[in-house]
Amino acid sequence: MRTSAPIQRLVAALRRLPGIGEKSATRLTFHLLSAPDAQVHELAEAIVRLKKEIVLCAECFDLTDASPCAICRDARRDASQICVVEEPADLAAIEAAGGYGGRYHVLGGALSPIDGIGPEELRIADLEARVRRGGVREIVLATNPTAEGDATAYYLAERLRDAGAKLTRIASGMPLGGDLEYADPVTIGRSIAHRREMD
Amino acid sequence: MATIETQALVLRVVDFGESDRIAHLLTPVTSRLTVIAKGAKRSKRRFPGTLDLFHLLDVRIERRRPTSMARLEQARLLDAWTPLRRHPARFALACYLAELVDRLATEGTGGREARDLFAAVLGALRAAASREPTPRMRALLELRVLAAIGLEPELRRCVRCGRDADASGAAAGESAKVAFHVAEGGPLCVGCTAVGDPCMTLHRGTLRALEQGLRLPFDRIDRLALGAEPTAEARALLARFLRFHVGFELRSERFLDSLLASGTVRALA
Repeated sequence: MRTSAPIQRLVAALRRLPGIGEKSATRLTFHLLSAPDAQVHELAEAIVRLKKEIVLCAECFDLTDASPCAICRDARRDASQICVVEEPADLAAIEAAGGYGGRYHVLGGALSPIDGIGPEELRIADLEARVRRGGVREIVLATNPTAEGDATAYYLAERLRDAGAKLTRIASGMPLGGDLEYADPVTIGRSIAHRREMD
Repeated sequence: MATIETQALVLRVVDFGESDRIAHLLTPVTSRLTVIAKGAKRSKRRFPGTLDLFHLLDVRIERRRPTSMARLEQARLLDAWTPLRRHPARFALACYLAELVDRLATEGTGGREARDLFAAVLGALRAAASREPTPRMRALLELRVLAAIGLEPELRRCVRCGRDADASGAAAGESAKVAFHVAEGGPLCVGCTAVGDPCMTLHRGTLRALEQGLRLPFDRIDRLALGAEPTAEARALLARFLRFHVGFELRSERFLDSLLASGTVRALA
């Protein structure tokens, strides 16, 4: 189909987004063409403002529109507890779950030597500096239970061993609604190893 | 359609698109093999806890056309090598060995070469997982894996005349050192060494120890007597050998070097 340059340009731009193929990009483009001008301008402005206004929190390195972020500014949150996560999405998942009242530190990934990601590529020195400033009672290592995530947690535990804070690792085991029959042996093994007495 | 049912070691996993993952596997029937695991990113039921670095799996792989990427249809976890995750230096050494194989092993080689490479890499990982990594252990495991890939340096015979480089040196009343020509991949005897040959000078004992290290079972590799100076020589030799014959630096090398140099990382579990 012959299409004009602006249409081709937007289709090409949308195709770069995750999960958007040629057909979806074309459908979205024609939807925008038929949408009211105000709606299109609102979308365009939202995209431009997203890049302009979102920064990293200078304290925890989460994405925020004001640094320090709302969590780091919130005096009701327990500043003596720092939960270390790999990515902002992990922080959002913990916040959505509720139940955690401390603060966070976003590493920006996990150690992955095969991909050339070592400690210098992560915000480990910033975490160390933050902990050594004092007032931290517990560091919750909430990196993912993958090989890289586990190795990162143990590496951090080693680096922060003498920092004077209690080091804890998030539990891993059977998920709610899970089925033992379909679980992998490591998950089952960890569930048994970390079983707890029933209240 | 060809179906392969075998054991496989996961060397690398990368996300592909919204829901798939691509895994680099090492198997005893295909050597290195790149497979696509459809739906692995989204569905935890399809490949539950299996597609992670260093996991040893029982797999079923299908290849619909000879030119298409093989497809991982089923995977069952046999061993997760948990100690590698709990010790940063062991993890770093295992990453280094996995990267070595992932970047240097030829994809799709079958037969005895594939079986030997698979056995060597499993042996090396088992050794890395079970004890405190040291520069000596790193050099010996690296040499074993290089040899299994088919990149073993010559350690005894002169690469020009084929004679025992030790014997010719001794006959000439030379010192305990030997010239090693990195580009030619082995030692030069006294008679073959010409002025201006770009050689490293090594103790003969270092080459003998490395030769011995190639024959030792993996579970006894840490018993090999190799002092600090020969270890440093061996490491320098392997580093130069790798750079010359491979042409690039491994990404995981910097992290491993820093942990082995600091010597402060202790086992945590």
